[in-house]
Amino acid sequence: MLASIAWLKNYVDIDVTPEVLAEKLTRVGLEVESVLHLGEGLEGVLTGRVTTIERHPNSDHLWICQMDYGSGEIVQILTGAQNVHQGDMVPVAVVGSHLPSGMKLKKAKMRGLDSFGMLCSAEELGIDAKLLLPEQRSGIFILPEDTPIGVDIKQVLGLDDVVLDIDLTSNRADCFSIVGLAREAAVVLGKELHLPALDVAEAAGGDAAAMARIEVQAPELCSRFAVRVLPNIKIAPSPEWMQKALRACGMRPISNVVDVTNYVMLELGQPMHAYDYDQVGEHTLIVRRGAVGEKLVTLDEQKRTLDPSMITISDATHAIGLGGVMGGLETEVTDATHTVMLEAASFDGPSIRRTSKALGLRSEASGRFERGVDIVLCHNALNRAAHLLEEMGACQTVHGIVESYPMPYKQAVITVTAQAMNERIGIDIPQAEMVAILRSLQFEVVEQGDEMIVTAPSWRNDVTCDADISEEIARIHSYDKIASHLPIMPLAQGRQEVIEDVKDTVEDYMTAEGLNEVMTYTFIHPNSLDKLALAPEDARRRAIEIMNPISDEFKVMRTTMLPSLLATAAYNLAHQAESVKIFEVGKVFLPKSLPLTDFPEEKRVLCAVLSGRRNELNWTEDKAEVDFYDMKGIVEGLLDKLQVQGYTLTTIAEPYLHPGKSCAIVYNDQTIGYFGQLHPTIAGNFTIDNDVYVLELELAPLQEAATQVPHYQALPKFPTTSRDIAVVVPEDVTMRELEQVILEHGTKLLSNIRVFDLYTGKQVATGSKSMAFNLTFQAQEKTLTDQEVDVIIKNIVEAVGTTFAAKLRD
Amino acid sequence: MKEKLMALQEQALAELKKTKTLDALQDLKVKYLGKKGPLTEILRGMGSLPAEERPKVGQIVNEVKGVLSQTMEDVSAILSREALKAKMASEKVDITMPGRTHLKGHLHPVTLTMREIKKIFMRMGFEVIEGPEIENDYYNFEALNLPKDHPARDMQDTFYITDEYLLRTQTSPIQARTMQSREPNSPIRMIAPGTVYRNDYDATHSPMFHQVEGLVLGEDVSLADLKGTLETFCKEMFGESVEIRLRPSYFPFTEPSAEIDISCVICGGKGCRVCKNSGWLEILGSGEVHPHVLEMSGYDPKRVKGYAFGMGVERIAMLKYGIDDLRLFFENDLRFIRQFK
Repeated sequence: MLASIAWLKNYVDIDVTPEVLAEKLTRVGLEVESVLHLGEGLEGVLTGRVTTIERHPNSDHLWICQMDYGSGEIVQILTGAQNVHQGDMVPVAVVGSHLPSGMKLKKAKMRGLDSFGMLCSAEELGIDAKLLLPEQRSGIFILPEDTPIGVDIKQVLGLDDVVLDIDLTSNRADCFSIVGLAREAAVVLGKELHLPALDVAEAAGGDAAAMARIEVQAPELCSRFAVRVLPNIKIAPSPEWMQKALRACGMRPISNVVDVTNYVMLELGQPMHAYDYDQVGEHTLIVRRGAVGEKLVTLDEQKRTLDPSMITISDATHAIGLGGVMGGLETEVTDATHTVMLEAASFDGPSIRRTSKALGLRSEASGRFERGVDIVLCHNALNRAAHLLEEMGACQTVHGIVESYPMPYKQAVITVTAQAMNERIGIDIPQAEMVAILRSLQFEVVEQGDEMIVTAPSWRNDVTCDADISEEIARIHSYDKIASHLPIMPLAQGRQEVIEDVKDTVEDYMTAEGLNEVMTYTFIHPNSLDKLALAPEDARRRAIEIMNPISDEFKVMRTTMLPSLLATAAYNLAHQAESVKIFEVGKVFLPKSLPLTDFPEEKRVLCAVLSGRRNELNWTEDKAEVDFYDMKGIVEGLLDKLQVQGYTLTTIAEPYLHPGKSCAIVYNDQTIGYFGQLHPTIAGNFTIDNDVYVLELELAPLQEAATQVPHYQALPKFPTTSRDIAVVVPEDVTMRELEQVILEHGTKLLSNIRVFDLYTGKQVATGSKSMAFNLTFQAQEKTLTDQEVDVIIKNIVEAVGTTFAAKLRD
Repeated sequence: MKEKLMALQEQALAELKKTKTLDALQDLKVKYLGKKGPLTEILRGMGSLPAEERPKVGQIVNEVKGVLSQTMEDVSAILSREALKAKMASEKVDITMPGRTHLKGHLHPVTLTMREIKKIFMRMGFEVIEGPEIENDYYNFEALNLPKDHPARDMQDTFYITDEYLLRTQTSPIQARTMQSREPNSPIRMIAPGTVYRNDYDATHSPMFHQVEGLVLGEDVSLADLKGTLETFCKEMFGESVEIRLRPSYFPFTEPSAEIDISCVICGGKGCRVCKNSGWLEILGSGEVHPHVLEMSGYDPKRVKGYAFGMGVERIAMLKYGIDDLRLFFENDLRFIRQFK
């Protein structure tokens, strides 16, 4: 909200700079976002009259003006604007003056003639075009005729004002007005508050009750509705002081009646509406819900379709306005209006918010109703508006206010003790000081011994319980005076859940393995599941959909992490990354039913993607790209780190994996993940040309193993004996099959077995491969002799030979 | 004989002096001390000497042998040292060549920041509690004193899944979840880190981001305790010289409420672009837990009170690392992530 300092000064004596006031208000909870000095950069521009004007002899668009700006002489100024006439009062930037654009005025020569200054447009003075009438936006800014000559334009247009831009919290509806802010300013500055005059002459005679009828048919949406009748309206521009105030607070002056309703809204916080009395059927205003499909043309000439959620103002026959949001065109106040019906009402905030949102009509009025308006204000607002219009000779007023106010407001009465307040705040403020603070905020306080019986003023309907009272005391007393100490509580162990420890371990392991952690959005495009070629019946197709997504990109909650990480890999490959090694421990969301009727399962999953170079380009390394065994090494290492034993790797049929280079990870008879090469077609779907290796692994099934404490095994006392054997076997024999046979015949003395070479090529027959094993033998109780080991090796070689038609390689 | 032996010794020593290599030294060893060398020959020919001469000659031969062996050993040591020196000289490497590396991985800056926040609070005895990202209306709003028509529940802020389920907009629902999982009125000291969602996407808003919620409940936990705890946190996070201030604010689930500002970590409070020349940076929201919130989750506000707070992890990471664009966190450019150690 914008608040003019000049306007605030009508109600409270401000004897500090705007910056100091801003800081003081901020520190009591009214955050001033910025202090705007309106006429910043504008210096030395004066008001002046065009005494004569004639065409420039050498130009068809320039004019020669002889200007009087009170210096005692007539000064020649040339202008290219076409809207200047003899006798006009205009802003004159004299030689030596400064404009907000940074321009400094100098004598100039235009087509051979001297110009001693410049006539200014509103824009050149730094006035926002949206605060001006359309006719004021182009050409020179023509000032009212009665503007005095030779006066600083900043004074004339209110550009000497300073405006506070305040970010109001939603509980402080009471400060959505100049008087409300003045009330707080008076407290923080220790000054008196002067309220605006509300007296009404009611010189028109007659009785409003006889001239207008009101009826509230939807009391749940309108708790108060009040109207005054103002005949003998003379529509004219509002006085300059009012226009200045409105402009400073960001509203465009239009005409006296409209300006007064806006002025009173900004001043007191009560939105108002003016109807042309003679256009309102039977001079009757009915507050009701809109009918389904009912039409209304609003002030902005848009045809609106109403529904029963909308607060509708209607006359005897049909809708003429949307209460609290926008009036209807039909009953608009025009130059022809003779009598005005002025409305001040209290409408239901949530309804106003829904309506203004549904229709895209957010206004100063709807914003105030959304937060809640002091219900007691209705009369004050009507009286203030009538007072101002009478004062400017724009109308007379009929006696009385017609209103519906079935449930008069009852203020909350809250009983508190100083001790409880102090305990909540953690401070020691004497009761007397608390009473003084509350009274300065116009709370009524009755003291009964230790108890304070507090009644909040009507505008503070946000104050409903003792905690609210404690905040009032604390904020005015100052949060700075609250001491700082740590809570006194029983000792407790700081800890996190086991799954979080596992997550940390996994993240640390993956980074140690050279992978970078990424963080991706958990919502994905539904077509990501198509890109993975998932079958229609695949459970991962049943993704939870967001009702109001930002776009299709972020539409469904992921059921697999893979698309997120593939997109990230693609992004980095497109940005010339030589090596993409990334991982994320994130969540996938698996619904129990769709549409959702219960909390879905949120599973923590590790996903990793490898592509490109295995290592940085380095003179010590070869230039190999990552392959299946890089990913397998990472998986094996991770499971070892987490002490997971007894898992198996089995074949898997996922449509997005390379059928010959992928496997499932099975643990406790449950598939908990998979890894392998991404199917080249799928990689293409994600715009990746390179080979990509992927991994997904659930973390929860690993928790138990990960929390085991390793058990120490005694170190062997005797040396080991090591032998290498190389066997040539048919190509389709797996390492595991060979290993099984070797283990079977290796006796318990075979303590370790390692593959150290795999060869296919010229040295062996086609369709065969050579595999070399290093075998380590060890006995617990003695040093083995060569003869003992030779016997075992001989048995192994024989067994391998007969099982696989293998032979020992030379 | 003695003269002959002395001359032999002189000759051998002279030759040894000239020896430059270990091989040559070995040759000399063979030549003088070997089985076919002159000393062996003399010893062998002792039989032809008169008996009384023999011990004398034997003694001289042994003396000469001793001198020569010792000298050979000395020369050998010198030559070995020189040979090693020469070998090492030939092994010299170019120390400016890069070392052997393997690619190192890096944690995401949000994880690093989250871990640090958790560490600071765990050291103060806080439990870390997780909650679901898909929440229901009750926990996300109602139990937090956000009645049905509160503006913060507006569709423009919340991602809805059904009328009942939504993506949590804050980590605050874990306040109610924690209270309801405990014995009523038992003390709580917890933080709840997590991913949250808001329907807002532009240069300064991400639809998904991270928060850490805090809740401390006990018999006598006041705003002063809140101030002390968060002052400790801010100093641990940003350094001892950081100052904090509390500013009255509004959250539906706390009363009194306070925004916490820290003295600007960029300019030290002098005023700069980041702090908009105010010298202060808004860092987290907090307050004394609203009595309604306690009541709704089975706690008695007359017996228990305490404070709650919530902070944006990306905001803290941006200030900590000087990151000026929120979007970088979720773009996941490896050139960005590799900067965080």
